[in-house]
Amino acid sequence: MTDKRADISTVPQLSDEELLDARARLPQHVVHRSFVSETVVLNLRTGKYHGLNPTAGKMLDALEAAPTVGDAVPLLAAEYGLGQEGIQSDLLALTRGLLERGLIVTGDDSAA
Amino acid sequence: MTAPLEERSSADGGEQHRTAFGLALSIDPRISIAGLGQSQAASAQPPSRIYLDDGELDRRWGVLTSAPLRARELRFGETLLLSVDFAEPAGYLMWARDFARVLISPDGLELLCEPDHANGDWASILPAQALPLAATIRGLEILHASGVVLGGRAVLLAGPLGAGKSSLAAALVGAGGRLLSDDAVALQMSDGALVAHAGSVVLHLRAAENERLSADARAALGRPERSFPGKQRYVSAGAPDPAPLAALFLLERSAEQPAVERLGAVSPFELIASTFNLSVRTPARMRRQLDVVSAIAASGVAHRLRVQPDVDATQLATIVQEQLQEL
Repeated sequence: MTDKRADISTVPQLSDEELLDARARLPQHVVHRSFVSETVVLNLRTGKYHGLNPTAGKMLDALEAAPTVGDAVPLLAAEYGLGQEGIQSDLLALTRGLLERGLIVTGDDSAA
Repeated sequence: MTAPLEERSSADGGEQHRTAFGLALSIDPRISIAGLGQSQAASAQPPSRIYLDDGELDRRWGVLTSAPLRARELRFGETLLLSVDFAEPAGYLMWARDFARVLISPDGLELLCEPDHANGDWASILPAQALPLAATIRGLEILHASGVVLGGRAVLLAGPLGAGKSSLAAALVGAGGRLLSDDAVALQMSDGALVAHAGSVVLHLRAAENERLSADARAALGRPERSFPGKQRYVSAGAPDPAPLAALFLLERSAEQPAVERLGAVSPFELIASTFNLSVRTPARMRRQLDVVSAIAASGVAHRLRVQPDVDATQLATIVQEQLQEL
């Protein structure tokens, strides 16, 4: 992602297991659009744009579609023909990065 | 968010009715702005009113309910040239050194001007900065680009300062086009497609490029007005009607021969950087800006045009026209 990290002091520190069981959603003040070269994520509260490469963009789509973060792993592994272990590690790293920047929230409260 | 309306002292009647950046305009008869479109029929949208009223600007800016927020600054070195502050309920206060202060209401329907009367050209700040801001408030997206309508289709030219946008626009006008703008064009989504609206049809051409032109080519550019240092100003006879966006050429300086490439994957951040107005950062505007950029990318209109520093603009115009025939 191209932007600086947000203050992470308020982000709940979840273990890998807790994060895999969590539901990840975009809050209402975050919108994204997919382009050929990258996905642009815009935080309407801060006015900051963030760029995701195509793989991270696919991961964001999977996070939105899947009931939990963990459920997105097999979807992505099937799409890329890769083992779930490597995908899971990359997905957890991306999810934490998005949480730290306030671009996704965990749980059902997308109005957060 | 509407600024309180007060009784105004500008003369009743005699307003000039014009269009620019997709807005209907009602202009105080004491204000002369070159290069705006003539208003044809009654518009469904209310006009934005541009007027003078001594003392009113300070009165409005003196009764704020929120602290002014600096939305934008433009500097040359240490010198502040332009600033925009926002505060409720007055709106956006634009200050442009040696030109004017303009208070733009939060809904974009009023532009209250306080000119620097020492500058006889003070009103040029209106199409250059204030009207693009008002248009952005009112739902249009402004692209920092020159533009020409060719065969009923809008062709936009974006790129860094000195890339040759104005020279190429002049060459396209010489090839039968009509100037949309030298500097800023308003885009609007209409039935799923992008439509380009004329800005100010005033062209500033570098002296060296102006001297290259034939007498006929100069005549096609319109009425010559007083020159600026190193530049000649032309005012077109009138603005063209809005036209569907056919092509956006992103000019890039290059030592290589001129070449054009249709971009399958244009950088969204390059397009965002070409949008004009950063003062309006409401959620609705930010979302619209992203939607317009997305529509430009998805429509396949973006091209890269490599330009040598001293290339003949008529050669580039030929390349552009050939590319348009393939679209």
